[in-house]
Amino acid sequence: MAGLLECHALSKNFDAVAAVVDVNLEVTEGSVHSIIGPNGAGKTTFFNLISGEVPPTAGRVYFKGRDITGLPSHQIPHVGIARCFQRTNIFPKLTVFENVWVAMFSRSNSGALDFIKRVSDFGEIGDKTREIISELGLEEKLTERAETLSHGQQRALEVAIALAGAPTLILLDEPTQGLAPEATQQMTQLIQRLAGRYTILLIEHKMHVVMAISHWISVMHFGQIIAEGGPDEIRQNEAVQKAYLGGRR
Amino acid sequence: MRDRNIFLIVLAFVVIGPFVQPKVIITEMLIFGIVAVANNIMIGYTGMLSFGQAMFFGIGAYVAGLLLKAGMPLIVALPVGTLFVLVLSIAVGYFCVQRTGLYFICITFAFNQMFYFIAYSWTGLTGGEDGLPGIPRPSLLLDPVAFYVFVAVVFLACLVAMKRIVDSPLGLICQTIRENPSRAAAVGYNVKLYKLTAFTIASTFTGLAGTVYAMLYGIVPIDQIHWLKSGDFIFMTLLGGTGNFFGPIMGAVGYIWMSETFSLYWARWPLIMGIVFVVVVLYLRGGIVELIGKVYGSIQRAREAP
Repeated sequence: MAGLLECHALSKNFDAVAAVVDVNLEVTEGSVHSIIGPNGAGKTTFFNLISGEVPPTAGRVYFKGRDITGLPSHQIPHVGIARCFQRTNIFPKLTVFENVWVAMFSRSNSGALDFIKRVSDFGEIGDKTREIISELGLEEKLTERAETLSHGQQRALEVAIALAGAPTLILLDEPTQGLAPEATQQMTQLIQRLAGRYTILLIEHKMHVVMAISHWISVMHFGQIIAEGGPDEIRQNEAVQKAYLGGRR
Repeated sequence: MRDRNIFLIVLAFVVIGPFVQPKVIITEMLIFGIVAVANNIMIGYTGMLSFGQAMFFGIGAYVAGLLLKAGMPLIVALPVGTLFVLVLSIAVGYFCVQRTGLYFICITFAFNQMFYFIAYSWTGLTGGEDGLPGIPRPSLLLDPVAFYVFVAVVFLACLVAMKRIVDSPLGLICQTIRENPSRAAAVGYNVKLYKLTAFTIASTFTGLAGTVYAMLYGIVPIDQIHWLKSGDFIFMTLLGGTGNFFGPIMGAVGYIWMSETFSLYWARWPLIMGIVFVVVVLYLRGGIVELIGKVYGSIQRAREAP
């Protein structure tokens, strides 16, 4: 078997606009794989195609060799793919504990009988939930409503929700967006810690973050992959420099 | 306040109520209390506003009423009426949850109107405009006290059952859907399926309340299935407060108390109800629950002040 996640000739058109064009991409198990590119390059749309938010116009997506193309978004977590969104996407009025608990219950409930128990009756899920929250440094906020958290803490909660789904692959869409330099550094370290345990596909704009943590980088421009390689290769690549400095296709 | 304490207050109301007010009024409060709490599983917990709950209340009442008239015992009539509503609400709900927001409201409204006109036109079965009269009570429940006790037991049982449902993982999943449906899907929940579940649970308890209602006055008036009744249910729920499981009970009690009181003095009493509704929606979004909290808070502060 080749890559953990494989995209074959994946395309998405919104009417006349081609957002993602014929993308072939392979994510190796255990790697941190970044996708970079100028704004509007189609990176988030590409994530949406993988996670089932939007069906592709053409092409296929394989995960662990299984064709998951067009699977509805609520089934994607159950194959082992979790997602963090570009815009913070949590449950504002629920507590931090509930935010993470509900994501964990989704993947670890043992069927209909679990639905007649009380939430407080699940010792193991509760313990694991607290564990993940502590790992993300939010243990003091356990019973606080998510909406009261700072932006940086909400980004961390977002990651906690993703981890709660016990994924193999995590799709991270600009995890450091809007974060102060110090929080950016914390997030970078967090991703590095997760790197050993999970395969990570990352969209990121901050170059120093990308260069520091990626094993492999794909550069997207006008919906196409224009270059691929390790951090050093990408740094030297002429097409990449052109794309970022405003060169034309 | 702890849930247990609130439950004790509710229990005290059920016991003391009939000594303070006519039994029939308190009975009505309890029946609509079930409806309002059930309605809140959709409105407060899941974030769905149905303008069609009267169809389930009315149909539950019609089915139970017809069975009782046909000589069926209580133990058959009530469960069959409730089960009928359960199945119907799955079928109706399946179409309703395909859309969200305003469109969801419109579909529930349209279904309500459809069943209203079926009841209106099918005079042979439902009595049409005149309502379905002559529903007998089982001999055991002929006595008003016995009937009150029966309704009180049904009310408390429904309350315990619904409390258990909202405390289960299902209750939390419903809240994630209210908060952020696309995120709920992204952690692995089939949003439409859970919305349908909430819809069915709320509607079934509403139908159960309807089956009991059929025996209260021995008649099912046609306006019990009219969409205006659906509006009343929403009013009761909002009046009590959607942020608390028990809040809507106060809404049902307050609504019935107000309509009974105002109607004694003025024939145009619904106008006052309208004003109350506007005030609640504009200034008291948390309903009576919020009002109590505010009053309690200011008493606390007044005490602390020297």
